[in-house]
Amino acid sequence: MKISLDWLQEYIDIDLPVSRLVEVFDNIGLLIEDWKEEDGDVILDVETYANRPDTLGHLGIARELATALGLTLKEQRFPLAETSKNISDLIDVQIWDEDLCPRYCGMVVENIAIGPSPEWLMKRIEAMGLNPINNVVDVTNYVLFATAQPIHAFDLDKIAGRKIIVRRAKQGEKMQSLEAKDVDLTSEMLVIADEEKPVALAGVIGGENTAVSDSTQSVFIESAHFDPVSVRKTSKATGIQTDAAYRFERGADVSFPPEAARMAASLFSQFSGKVCRGIVDVYPKSRKIKTVMLRDHRVTSLLGIEIDSGFIEKTLADLGFQLENKQPGIWQVKIPHFRIDIEREADLIEEIARFYGYEKIPIQLPPLRSLEPILDPKKEKIKTLRQLLFHYGFDEVVNFSFMDPEKQEKFTHDLNPIPIRNPISTKAAFLRTTLIGGLLENVAWNTNRGAEGVDIFEIGNIFQFDNDSYNEHLMLSMVMTGSTGERHWKEKGREAGFFHLKGTCEALLAQLRYGSFFFKEENHPHFQDGRSLALHFKGEEIGWLGAIDQKILGAYLLKHEVWAAEINLSFLFEKQTQAFQYSAVAKYPSVSRDVSFIGAKNVSFEEIRVVLEKLQLPYLEKFTLYDRFAGSSIPQGEVSLSFRFIFRRPDRTLQADEVDVFQQKIIDTLRASFNFRLREGGKIDK
Amino acid sequence: MENLKIEIQNKRKSFEDALAKVKDRHSLQDIRNEYLSRQRGIITGIFEQLKHVKPEERPEIGNLINDFKNHVQERVLALQEKFAAPKKVLEKVDLTLPGEKKYWGAPHPIPLFQQEIENIFLRMGFSIADGPEIETDYYNFGALNFPPHHPARDDWDTLYITDDVLLRTHTSPVQIRVMEKKKPPIRIINPGKVYRKEAPDPTHLPMFFQVEGLVVDLGITFAHLKGTLEYFLKALFHEKIKIRFRPSFFPFTEPSAEVDIECTVCGGKSEDCRVCGGGGWIEILGSGMVDPQVLKNVNIDPEKYSGFAFGLGVDRTAMFAYQIPDMRYFYENDLRFIRQFSLK
Repeated sequence: MKISLDWLQEYIDIDLPVSRLVEVFDNIGLLIEDWKEEDGDVILDVETYANRPDTLGHLGIARELATALGLTLKEQRFPLAETSKNISDLIDVQIWDEDLCPRYCGMVVENIAIGPSPEWLMKRIEAMGLNPINNVVDVTNYVLFATAQPIHAFDLDKIAGRKIIVRRAKQGEKMQSLEAKDVDLTSEMLVIADEEKPVALAGVIGGENTAVSDSTQSVFIESAHFDPVSVRKTSKATGIQTDAAYRFERGADVSFPPEAARMAASLFSQFSGKVCRGIVDVYPKSRKIKTVMLRDHRVTSLLGIEIDSGFIEKTLADLGFQLENKQPGIWQVKIPHFRIDIEREADLIEEIARFYGYEKIPIQLPPLRSLEPILDPKKEKIKTLRQLLFHYGFDEVVNFSFMDPEKQEKFTHDLNPIPIRNPISTKAAFLRTTLIGGLLENVAWNTNRGAEGVDIFEIGNIFQFDNDSYNEHLMLSMVMTGSTGERHWKEKGREAGFFHLKGTCEALLAQLRYGSFFFKEENHPHFQDGRSLALHFKGEEIGWLGAIDQKILGAYLLKHEVWAAEINLSFLFEKQTQAFQYSAVAKYPSVSRDVSFIGAKNVSFEEIRVVLEKLQLPYLEKFTLYDRFAGSSIPQGEVSLSFRFIFRRPDRTLQADEVDVFQQKIIDTLRASFNFRLREGGKIDK
Repeated sequence: MENLKIEIQNKRKSFEDALAKVKDRHSLQDIRNEYLSRQRGIITGIFEQLKHVKPEERPEIGNLINDFKNHVQERVLALQEKFAAPKKVLEKVDLTLPGEKKYWGAPHPIPLFQQEIENIFLRMGFSIADGPEIETDYYNFGALNFPPHHPARDDWDTLYITDDVLLRTHTSPVQIRVMEKKKPPIRIINPGKVYRKEAPDPTHLPMFFQVEGLVVDLGITFAHLKGTLEYFLKALFHEKIKIRFRPSFFPFTEPSAEVDIECTVCGGKSEDCRVCGGGGWIEILGSGMVDPQVLKNVNIDPEKYSGFAFGLGVDRTAMFAYQIPDMRYFYENDLRFIRQFSLK
């Protein structure tokens, strides 16, 4: 809200440097966002709040400032040049909807010489950032910015039947607004109508048909009170935002319309206008003054400091409240109509604190009673997860939760995306059902800027509509492409690949103590066929990993292979973790045997593992695949596999001949199951 | 006894003779073994004979044997050094070559900064509570004392899914959810993502992170709010930072306060400072005493209990703390930006 210092002087005598004034304003919560000197005046840009419509005019601001500085508001006088005509002979006002229009006042001024405003008025209007139009329009704006009460001037002669009817619009009715726009009206909207047609959209904007023009002689001044919600809905529905609507939708002062009308009439008198006797004031249900109890001890217990009751009484009185001291330390406070924000004791305490000064309230740490902490194991797990991922060399990213519906389509999936009704753009119209989309965008962004490799992860929610409800799942997604690390004289860079990602998943799950997971070869629409694994845990599918499908890569303009994994942490974290258990370090040495086989390529490692497990060799501690290759020395369609088997007995040292027996059993089994042959020293046995 | 004395003398002599003939490490080792071997060595043999000596004479003989043993050890040691293998000259290695690269991933600055904020409150005995990002109108607005159709809602520009379902515009709904379940004392912070219908520009984003906090207990005052937030801001920035509490308005607090800190970029001295706009202050927190209506909405008696609440934007504060000029950088996820925070 723009406030002119010169204008404020109409209400109070201020004799302070601007810098000091800014401080005073800031301290009572009227933040000065900016100020500038202009034309011998100072224009302050004051931040106002949705609950304080009374500060949307110079009068209200002056009242605040007067209270802060201990000044008295100057009395306002509105002398009128009157005619002998009676207003009741000139216009008839009826309110047909008292809920939406609790009060309607009007005055008539005849014989106005329409023309440019006098210089002082033009200056005021310009100070508000508006262009002066003519003396009538300028006066209505002047009253609005002076008092925060919007008023409107109709050309009296254009009001059909000299009747003002405040009613709901009829469905399908139209009105041309002052902005020369056709407005489609609905029965939700309140209009000011004459005998024939709507002449104004109540509290929002006047109509073209009754606008004041150069030929206007008599003016009907409307100064009314409209229901805030109704004005807001109408303003939203029509998209018409005006200074008047801005004030009405926040709540105007129901007691003020007569004074605002008089103020306007008085100003018109200055332009040779003659004011007809009397005022129309339709106010069917007079509003009662609210009363709020204020207790001294509550002031202290809420603010943490005792405030002198003399200060309390003076401050509230200066702000326009009426106090009645019922008992010592208890007041009944009458709330003026312009303070629609004050309803409870706490509201009054805030008023006291504002003017007492927040800076004078002491600084204390609260008594921290010990209390049971709210435990969040999920939070701890995420912390561990992030540390592990940093350790594995993944960088963390955070993407917006939105997704482009066009890209979403590429992720054909059984999850129903949730559309946003009023998205910031069509490209952000869905909530994401996967984190992979965002991560692929990050890959594209970084590779386009010269990154040779990208290893990134994100932890965040995905959203889906399911079973008639909106669901959120916490996900971890990892994506990798290109080479990891930079070139170094001693180390070869590592190309990102499926098994790198798989190893990361295995390590993460093991370290979080969810060891009993397994992978299953399954196709998934996000991944290339035959290049993805489903991650299962205790009978539930909790994630996927694989090489991203070509058409998805295409949607993100990516040319290189990208590997991705996505794990549903909401599912995972619900599962029981394995307890940590210490086991004794083995006393007796192990015996290890390296055995190389040659066999068909299409035998999977998993099949071999299952067969070896079924053997149930009692002292086989573990086995690892340490080499795997195919090439010119190996027959077509076959592969060489080298295993290391480690045997150990807990109670004594194993003898070589015992181990020989186990080894032979392994060789025989793999031969029987898969037709594997031993490969020794590059030679193949028969 | 005399025999033994003579034997010691003889052995000593033969040891000297043998030693004189030693030419290399190996023959020295043989002599060492011959005399000093613990099981079959000559000296061990002499010690064996000690048991046949009369007890009163044993100390004297014992000393003699020990002397001999020490003598042998010293002599052998001296010669060992002489015959030691010459030191190998190591091949020259360029030790100035760079060490092997250790890679560790970088945290995103926002979760990182959020954790810093959380840690300060955890030290003060706060718990962390969390809630859904998709909320109902009631939890996001109604329970927080926003009347329906009130212009106050305009300050929280909202992304809607239906009339009643929306993306939370602040993490305050979590406070309502906690208060519904738990009676005071309550001391929580609520970090998380929030959403606003704002097109991205250098200082606005449609999604950002907030940390909000709530304390409800007997006898909580505005002075406690000031104390808590001062402690927090001094811990987050520095001990001497200037802080200002200024009246403001939020539907869910009464009285309400905005908390400003001095602009550490220009110190309030630059007329056209990019960060504070010349005002010298930066809004950092919104706060206030919990509105009595909010307490009533969750069945907490405002006559008995009082509390304060506060909230800050993590992105905005991080932007200021790290002097990042554009909030959108956080969501570009440019690794040249993010990797800098591996050092933070």
